[in-house]
Amino acid sequence: MTDNKFSKLSKNYKLSISNPKFFDAVKMLISILIALAITFVILCLVSSDPINAIVTILTGPLTKTRYIGSVIESFIPYAFAGLAAGVLFKAGAFNLGAEGIYILSGAVVTAVAISPVTTSPILHPILCFVAAMAFGGIMMILPSFLKAKFGTNEMVVSLMLNSIYAGIAAYVVRTFLGTLKRGGNSSKDYLATARIGYLYEPLRISACFLVLIAVTVILYLVMKKSRLGYQIRLAGTNPRFAEYSGVSAFKLAISTAAIAGVLSGMGAASALLTQTQFYTPSQSLVGIGFSGMLLSMLGRNNPIGIVVASFMIKYLEQGTKILYFVDKSVPSEIVAIVEGIIIMLISSQYFLRRFRERKLLKEGLEEHVE
Amino acid sequence: MNEIILKLDNVTKVYPNGTVANRDINMEFEKGEIHSVVGENGAGKSTLMKMIFGIERPSSGTITYKGEEVHFNSSMDAIHAGIGMVHQHFMLIPSYSIVDNIILGDEPTKSIFIDAKEATKRCQELSDKYNFELDVTAKVSTLSVAKRQKVEILKTLYRNAELIILDEPTSVLTPQETEKLFDQLRFFKQQGHTIIFISHKLEEVKQISDRISVIRNGVSKGTYLNADLSMEQLTNLIIGRDLENDMDEYKTHEDFHGERALEVRDLYMERNGKPVLNNVSFEVKRGEILGVAGVEGNGQQELVKCITGLEATKYEGLIKVCDQEVNHLNIRGRRDIGMAYIPEDRMVDGVAGELPISDNLISTYYTREDINGKLFMDNKAIARMSDQLIKTFAVKTKNADASVNSLSGGNVQKVVVAREYNTNSRFMIAEQPTHGIDIGSAEFVHHKLIEMRNAGAGILLVSADLNEVMDLSDRIIVMFNGRIAGYFPDANKVNESELGMYMLGAKHQSEEEIGGALND
Repeated sequence: MTDNKFSKLSKNYKLSISNPKFFDAVKMLISILIALAITFVILCLVSSDPINAIVTILTGPLTKTRYIGSVIESFIPYAFAGLAAGVLFKAGAFNLGAEGIYILSGAVVTAVAISPVTTSPILHPILCFVAAMAFGGIMMILPSFLKAKFGTNEMVVSLMLNSIYAGIAAYVVRTFLGTLKRGGNSSKDYLATARIGYLYEPLRISACFLVLIAVTVILYLVMKKSRLGYQIRLAGTNPRFAEYSGVSAFKLAISTAAIAGVLSGMGAASALLTQTQFYTPSQSLVGIGFSGMLLSMLGRNNPIGIVVASFMIKYLEQGTKILYFVDKSVPSEIVAIVEGIIIMLISSQYFLRRFRERKLLKEGLEEHVE
Repeated sequence: MNEIILKLDNVTKVYPNGTVANRDINMEFEKGEIHSVVGENGAGKSTLMKMIFGIERPSSGTITYKGEEVHFNSSMDAIHAGIGMVHQHFMLIPSYSIVDNIILGDEPTKSIFIDAKEATKRCQELSDKYNFELDVTAKVSTLSVAKRQKVEILKTLYRNAELIILDEPTSVLTPQETEKLFDQLRFFKQQGHTIIFISHKLEEVKQISDRISVIRNGVSKGTYLNADLSMEQLTNLIIGRDLENDMDEYKTHEDFHGERALEVRDLYMERNGKPVLNNVSFEVKRGEILGVAGVEGNGQQELVKCITGLEATKYEGLIKVCDQEVNHLNIRGRRDIGMAYIPEDRMVDGVAGELPISDNLISTYYTREDINGKLFMDNKAIARMSDQLIKTFAVKTKNADASVNSLSGGNVQKVVVAREYNTNSRFMIAEQPTHGIDIGSAEFVHHKLIEMRNAGAGILLVSADLNEVMDLSDRIIVMFNGRIAGYFPDANKVNESELGMYMLGAKHQSEEEIGGALND
């Protein structure tokens, strides 16, 4: 029995190029190596001590707990944005609205965080989260609803809504939540009860970190094993087939958008309640929603992959920041090069294809000889 | 021996998904011959043709055309070299005239403008020279399927094609139209053109070919003179065993008390102000197969759309599945009552190619209790059931986790049929169930349909393949121009040419006779 099980296992997870999952992993690894190699070449051009520079980027964040703690704290909102994008992409939706939802939910979080709704330091952050999640979920639905109902282009609508939501957030914060300090564009300071403290201070691990892990695991299970995940896979790979099979495209579009919105709300709340004292709509959360899409691509729309990718990118960013302290000739933007090359390579259909074809040819012929 | 115009040496093609489509193919085509390439669909004929026409590149091996080794980077290169291809699915722009379609990409010009006069003249001359009987200024959208095919052929001739590849050209034609096409092909041959003819229909291959090449499992099984080869030998070469032909032997006749699986009454549907379905009434009883014959585009697709409820279509009339009115229900609701559906285009509607076979085997009943746990789906039960279905339906694959894209056409269709079979529905629509798949798989699908019929399902078989309709059906209706043109209560008592007359509109039965389709 155990033998049988084992042989089946090894058959399914054969470490061979013909196994698409293994091939993907190999491709990812080689992409990362190539990206680092190119980064090194660039470092050689701009830095007087390129070897030290690349070593600093790769190991710098590990040299002090403060550094790694900063990575842990800052990657969480990005991971949430990645998860949100992953759900949408997996369902074949091109709703790019996470950016606007982040900024708008930021205003919602702020409204709750500056109001003395409760004196409990546990309940207050939870209320902030719930408000942001509910609001994010509802507002994210709009582009998907318009598409499912009227056939509008969700990409255009969601991009336009990003600007509109940002405008609304700025107006609300300035008019209702603002203070005259800080140029009038920022909110009042959050109440102490709303702020989320650290569970383990040196590594800056907060409850948000635990929430992220739990959400990732749940999302992974939902995608892999639930009926909803199955519907999302169907609609994402062939919407006509999903329709033919009796999956309601409308319900699915609404529910995936809602999930993505809830995740975005969580991301906004976790960023604001740990990292800042107040909210500035034009600064605090800008860019996170868009980054989420890249992270989702890096993680191949897989929840665990996305979280790992988010951590990795934030780690490299931290590395370049540290490098910038010691070597001003290397701009910290260099991390964007690494990111760009990896995404380009893993999303390329052609990269390593010849190699795989040759392998397959060999295997195919062997099989034929048998 | 004649001059060799095209020669393939050890041509091998591996697709990125790991399918070895062709392996060490060696083949020679002589100038001025009609050379058929036959084989099961997964056998790799299409891939071979794509390589000759420059759509795909060989992984190894060489192609020699007119004595020179060629490496086509795209079909443009092949066209310039003098190779033309008429695809199974036409590549025409319906809103353009015939001339515009023909000259597209190779327009005769006068300074910077298209020389419309010259273009029309050249196209008309070409059409007349080959006796195509076309008015080249007509819009393609107004043409019948057979005429569209002529336009496709003209397109290749306009580009001076010496070698013309015809991919399943007869699949959309009536017997009479096929005859005409064959006359034309013989004329091309006289003019010195070389024809590569791809078909599943062996009678036709025997009828038209000078030589026949057989491909099986991606490997060439040799080239033969048509005269040297009997039908049985040919079949044997293609599938490696003998075929049983008579489907009637498999039919059992149990009594299902005349229960209805489907009832359609006075169906009427309009498109652009024109009726595409008119006064269509019939029923399908449990335990029978009702065949719908007809040339493509005479309302069959619309009929299927109305019955399945796949797209929200507006129609008048009454549709009942298993004695329940379903007019207001979408496809989910109709499936729940007991409808299964094998769609015409399996890759578009019938599967999600990138997903594993197991996912594709459960899509139409993924909420069913036996494959669901309390919270999550029961992946173990799904795996068990998939393995079972793969075995029962002889799907050629390594395991249930392989993606559907890694399968050949015939095996993809088996996945679709296996899934619909497994719904245990009382009513089944089979729309072109063996379109473009190999003989072995087609035979298998046919057996399974009869098995379902014997078990008490009512099957509506919509097919452009006359032989299929005649072999499988108990009763037959013929559609022409959105109406039922003929009704035949006993499929065994009607022959191909008579059905052909009704399909072309040359004959039409009286209201009374057609009424039998509903009340028999």
